[in-house]
Amino acid sequence: MTQERRSLGADSWRASPNAIRLNQSTRLMRRDVLLSGIGALAAWGGMGATPVLADTVPAPVQDPGVARFMDVSHCLTDRTELDPAVGAALYAGMVQATPERAAQVASLYELKATKRLITAAELAKAAEKADKSLKDAIHDIMVGWYRGVAGGKVVVYRSALMFDITKDAIYPKTYAAGGPFYWTSKPPEVARPTGLPALSPSPFVVEPT
Amino acid sequence: MPSDQTLSADVVIVGSGVAGSSIANELVRAGLSVIVLEAGPRVDRQHFVENFRNLENKPSYQGPFPSTPWAPHPPNQRSPNKYLHTTGPDAEAYQQAYLRVVGGTTWHWAGCAWRYLPSDFELKTRYGQGRDWALSYDDLEPFYYQAEVMMGVCGPDPSVEDLGSPRKQPYPMEALPLSYAGEQFRKLITEKTPWRVVHEPQARNTRPYDGRPTCEGHNNCMPICPIGAMYNGSYSVYHAEAAGAKFIPNAVVYRIERDAANKKVTAVHYYDPDKGSHRVSGKYFVIAAHCIETAKLLLLSADEQSPNGVANSSGHVGRNMMDHTGVQVTFISGDKALWPGRGPLETNVIDNFRDGTWRDERGAYLVHMVDDNQVDFATQLAIAKGYVGRELEEQIRYLASHTVRLFSHNEALPDPENRLTLSRTEKDALGIPHPQVYYKLPQYTVRSCDHTRSVFRQLIHLMHGTDEEWTPGYFPQDHPSGSTIMGADPKDSVVDGHCRTHDHENLFIASSSVFSTVGTGNITLTVAAIALRVADTLKKELLHG
Repeated sequence: MTQERRSLGADSWRASPNAIRLNQSTRLMRRDVLLSGIGALAAWGGMGATPVLADTVPAPVQDPGVARFMDVSHCLTDRTELDPAVGAALYAGMVQATPERAAQVASLYELKATKRLITAAELAKAAEKADKSLKDAIHDIMVGWYRGVAGGKVVVYRSALMFDITKDAIYPKTYAAGGPFYWTSKPPEVARPTGLPALSPSPFVVEPT
Repeated sequence: MPSDQTLSADVVIVGSGVAGSSIANELVRAGLSVIVLEAGPRVDRQHFVENFRNLENKPSYQGPFPSTPWAPHPPNQRSPNKYLHTTGPDAEAYQQAYLRVVGGTTWHWAGCAWRYLPSDFELKTRYGQGRDWALSYDDLEPFYYQAEVMMGVCGPDPSVEDLGSPRKQPYPMEALPLSYAGEQFRKLITEKTPWRVVHEPQARNTRPYDGRPTCEGHNNCMPICPIGAMYNGSYSVYHAEAAGAKFIPNAVVYRIERDAANKKVTAVHYYDPDKGSHRVSGKYFVIAAHCIETAKLLLLSADEQSPNGVANSSGHVGRNMMDHTGVQVTFISGDKALWPGRGPLETNVIDNFRDGTWRDERGAYLVHMVDDNQVDFATQLAIAKGYVGRELEEQIRYLASHTVRLFSHNEALPDPENRLTLSRTEKDALGIPHPQVYYKLPQYTVRSCDHTRSVFRQLIHLMHGTDEEWTPGYFPQDHPSGSTIMGADPKDSVVDGHCRTHDHENLFIASSSVFSTVGTGNITLTVAAIALRVADTLKKELLHG
């Protein structure tokens, strides 16, 4: 991010307030990714080069990695429906930031198929037992779908699953729609969960402000 | 680039934040000509909202506001930092965040609009600590009200909830209703402790006000209110411009020129982004450039006439750096769901520790139960704990509805050893040195923070809390103050009670840099009140001689 900002010359900084936008290439790319679905990989590769406009994107490339990622994601979220366009963008971002994730997603896919694993907990436990490094891949997949972040960049904000599962109580910041003083109403009670973690715990590091 | 040397106005103001823009608005509406020089660019809300939504680290208040090469500001609060270099035993506790843009740092404040207590202005007389200000609460009271009207402050009826700062007028708007979480917290404190929770005065609309809408509770006051229901300095800029004030963005003032006698300022000089130099002359000058940048500019202007810097015959420019350095903890409540984050960010405060006889020994403080959306925090925590799938979703809901964050503003004292100087090694794109600050937390503040920790532990116990995460060390609150300290004696202070520099009769400073002590409430309303008092003084002198 820092590098991208620095690459903007003084003229572009001064051209208009738009010049002070953060991380321009990320936003362009994210739009392209979402518009073009699985064909997004081509757009992701174009980062930093000439912006790829949606209507010039060639026919979608059927990366088998994306299909495997979607299958593994359905399992690890215990969900039957996930947005494939978001999935393609998450996979592309994850693999771009950490190339070994492609092979790790393939390993998770194989593990799930060969051991006929059904639930997220089953797959996660089996994966960590088989290969400790797969835990990092699972974390990335969880961060992707639930936080909407891949490779340290925001792929989706409002559509992240963490907001889907809390939407009966709270709005994503900057998207409140309850009207003035909605906040005085009583939100839903939440019972203490009884489910157990499937993976070993990791250090929890809060990013400094 | 050819340099313009013909700019001139009755009053030249450096800095376009709350202080500079509100002075400009007052003066231009009184018929005076005003030029405001702002180091940073002109910006608009929607780009910052978009930047926020694209930011991975959402709690980074500086994150959506990238700075320009010619007017850098701290990119974050990390230490070491790429702009504000802090040193000393408590270097990390002084890692302040602020913005250099048109409108200033209130683009990302939380709107907390406290008046100081009368005792805050008389700490030395009442408690034998720190200093007294060279003005009293009564001197400032009319300007507090003027600032509240300018910003649009909502607050409680003093006959029902007296916040300790006597008022001649009610708040311009009714208090903001507490959120469900805030109300539950208030009930707990009322029923189970000797303390109380009050409605925090807020520069936030509880009805349409000054052409801005009622707050809709987007919970994003910091870093950026998406709809402008919260006041920030840009509104005073717009009002001042509409009345004819001239604002020049990307104008980095680097020199303050004086007459041969060194008694009057004759002009300021600024660089444009290409380092073309421009001279702006005037009758009066106001430096309103934030506590850190104001002291930096005065030191930067050192020359043969003033080898230690402008307005610095006392040697106190850059000294006495203060903040509300506090304590912060996050934990998971074991009681019923609170769902913090529904509504504005900071609405309730425990105010019992703002004053007391113990202030002769330890600093005062106030406590915020921060009403912050915890969904992202909960998600990161649940993933780190090892949850996946359905169990992860249950955890996210539980943690998001039960996470509580408390933090405090603890009172510092003016210590000349806590000092801002110019970096000898680090410079910006124009060759201007970065600021550096030596900071050692006063024992007065350390004892205050110890007391706060004991109160927080009691609160965690009362709420059956688990998973305590204490922010390591001390928590900077971005309320820097004291760098051009006010006092009656020119030998140990920089400005007098009217914020006029002792050394230069037509040079004023309007900033938290003039604070003699720092009290406990957020500093912005006091900055605005002081600025409006400076405007009043200037109007009297310029219009009535």
